[in-house]
Amino acid sequence: MRRRYATRGAAWLVIYLLFILAPLFALLAGSLPPARDFWTEFAAAIGYAGLAMMGLQFGLTARFRYVTEPWGEDVIYHFHRQISQIAVVLVLVHMLILFATRPEVLAPLNFFQAPWSAWFAVLSITAVIVLVVTALWRVKLDISYETWHLMHIVLAVVAVGAGLLHMAGSGFYLVDPWKRALWIVLPIFWIGLLLYVRIVKPLFMLRRPYRVAQVRQERGETWTVVMQPDGHPGFRFRPGQFGWLTLWGSPFQITGHPFSFSSSAAVAGERVEMTIRKLGDFTSAIHKVPVGQRVYLDGPYGAFTIDRNPADMHVLIAGGVGVTPMMSMIRTLADRGDKRPMVLLYGSKDWESITFREELELLKTRLDLTIVHVLANPPAGWTGEQGFITATVFKRHLPPPYADHEYFICGPDVMMDAIEKALGELNVPLAKYHSERYSFV
Amino acid sequence: MRRLLADKLVFATAAIVIAMAALFALLRLAG
Repeated sequence: MRRRYATRGAAWLVIYLLFILAPLFALLAGSLPPARDFWTEFAAAIGYAGLAMMGLQFGLTARFRYVTEPWGEDVIYHFHRQISQIAVVLVLVHMLILFATRPEVLAPLNFFQAPWSAWFAVLSITAVIVLVVTALWRVKLDISYETWHLMHIVLAVVAVGAGLLHMAGSGFYLVDPWKRALWIVLPIFWIGLLLYVRIVKPLFMLRRPYRVAQVRQERGETWTVVMQPDGHPGFRFRPGQFGWLTLWGSPFQITGHPFSFSSSAAVAGERVEMTIRKLGDFTSAIHKVPVGQRVYLDGPYGAFTIDRNPADMHVLIAGGVGVTPMMSMIRTLADRGDKRPMVLLYGSKDWESITFREELELLKTRLDLTIVHVLANPPAGWTGEQGFITATVFKRHLPPPYADHEYFICGPDVMMDAIEKALGELNVPLAKYHSERYSFV
Repeated sequence: MRRLLADKLVFATAAIVIAMAALFALLRLAG
């Protein structure tokens, strides 16, 4: 199964590169203007490639399940974020090389004399710089997620649209009508990807609503929302996967919120559960959701699942509400009657805030499950682990060889970084540990 | 693990795109 996903992932990467490079090399066919010097031609090439990369950013976040499945949504978003910085650098270098090799390019950048194509270049570059800066430092800039999300989409459309108009205005390579047509169809395709995720997908979700069947309070300021499909059979998910939840309003809302499913994936029936902790504006209203409320779910997504990574022993490492995908895995294995050994290393603030504490104890009777609670603030007389999950904690509770187990990690970024480092110190190969980060959006 | 792989893919993509842009320029000069 791993090999199949790896092959599919590699195939999509090749297709991604083809979407960047094929339209560039297509410019070499047909009639060509006289060649200029190397650096000018190189600058033109990275300008076209940078614009194609910017356009394809719409595709990376279009939530095509078949495309994202081999990698996992969090990795695709991580790639989206990192590659945007490369695209910005390419576009800036494109501009700087042209300024250096062809100083006459600078002359039109006079407010009154500049050709419109030059001003579209300035607009595109400005939009893309603001886009990247606000994406990287949204929290520091104190921009709310919802405002940022809307701004992000508008700036992306402006950056790509203005880039396209700059290219059409410069028009050096677009002599042949078919080349012009190609570079007009491409942006239509890119914007089409945006329309797909913002209009087509929500239309589909609108026809497949869910109803809140129950809102159950759990330990640690956490609530489980039980949802029932309304007039359709729902979907099947794998234990550890997540969905985008639209709780208030229509699926056309710009901002969806990703949450892991916490229910068993093995139970027949269409109910799905998400367990959500009070952590921000959206989550703090979870307990107010009335039973019967219509909600929308887009899913399942994610590569963080035991079903894709079979092992003789599963080690689940959870921090706080990061236990939710683990709970889905544990419940699923219990329902399947799976008796393979499993260890849950579970970090919590204190004894009272351990979400699912009682149910986990019950599940131990149905599974070969060892639970190790690690408490940041242990009660008086606590003899268990305290502080944070470290390599020392691993060594105390896991049987060697450590590299033979399969590790699943979910929790705050700081914890996950520390654990990934600890696993590296224990010589666990990268392919053996899997992380799910909530902070990917 | 997958994020580390994604980082490597970002660098690989950047390297391929830059190399291909250079190839594009060379092909242009070669006529």
